[in-house]
Amino acid sequence: MDSLINALKSRLPPSHMDFEGQRRAETAFQWVLGIFATIGFACGYAYQQFSLTVYILGIGFAIAALLTLPPWPMYRRNPLKWQPVRVNNTAGENDVSVGAKSSRKDK
Amino acid sequence: MNTFLSRLNSLFAMTMTVLAGLTFCCFLSTVHHTHHSIAKLDTPSVLVRQAPDYMIGHEINDLGHMTLNIDADLNHLFNWNVKQLFVYITAHYKTEKNAFNQVVLWDKIIRRGESARLQYSRVNPKYYFWDDGFGLRGNPNVTLALQYNVIPNSGRLLNIYAEGRHVVSMPENYIKGRA
Repeated sequence: MDSLINALKSRLPPSHMDFEGQRRAETAFQWVLGIFATIGFACGYAYQQFSLTVYILGIGFAIAALLTLPPWPMYRRNPLKWQPVRVNNTAGENDVSVGAKSSRKDK
Repeated sequence: MNTFLSRLNSLFAMTMTVLAGLTFCCFLSTVHHTHHSIAKLDTPSVLVRQAPDYMIGHEINDLGHMTLNIDADLNHLFNWNVKQLFVYITAHYKTEKNAFNQVVLWDKIIRRGESARLQYSRVNPKYYFWDDGFGLRGNPNVTLALQYNVIPNSGRLLNIYAEGRHVVSMPENYIKGRA
């Protein structure tokens, strides 16, 4: 089952972002939703229709999705700088150390 | 936040939380309303008869019949937090057998957007006015009251009495056959 899922996943285009991009994407959609929530509440109160508030929030969701769900290039501007691969030549040691930073999310 | 699905999950969860917050703010914006209104009720004709009550094994009970005049304007009760009003008229009275009786005679559902101006003249009640026993004949104090449930989008479900009750004195004599 795992190999089936991996095979399917590998057919899709990659959707990763680097960490700085993820942070900016999260900030972006939080602001978009917050702004549309405020606009929605104000318009709903003015016209006394709660459906208006929900629809405006829905539009905010669509805009935030368009802005942050696809992996736009602007979210890939700070890729991790991996160390180059070191292969040890001494006999007996077969230690291919990929001395990269471990994947800690830095916020 | 590294994959499409995890970003979608975060975005959707935040949208739902914000929607819940907005709904709560909608409730807060209407919590101070009093839902007061005035109703004028009248009963142009009042009759009492005895009849076998088909709903409870055909035992004989008093059956009242009063046509209703209703005049009330409930349009001001609607706001963005009100989904509909459930309006009903009840008759309250006391008999020797039971200390407190309350019978629904008429009701109506008014949704947001429909006219809430109630103007009815000589309408028949919607429901039968059975008594438990023979307490209606000659009962001097049967009070009619208009009540309504304000059903909100979010908040408490309220039951409010309109101002203005109408007291009816039931006739002393039974009607036989068709009135």
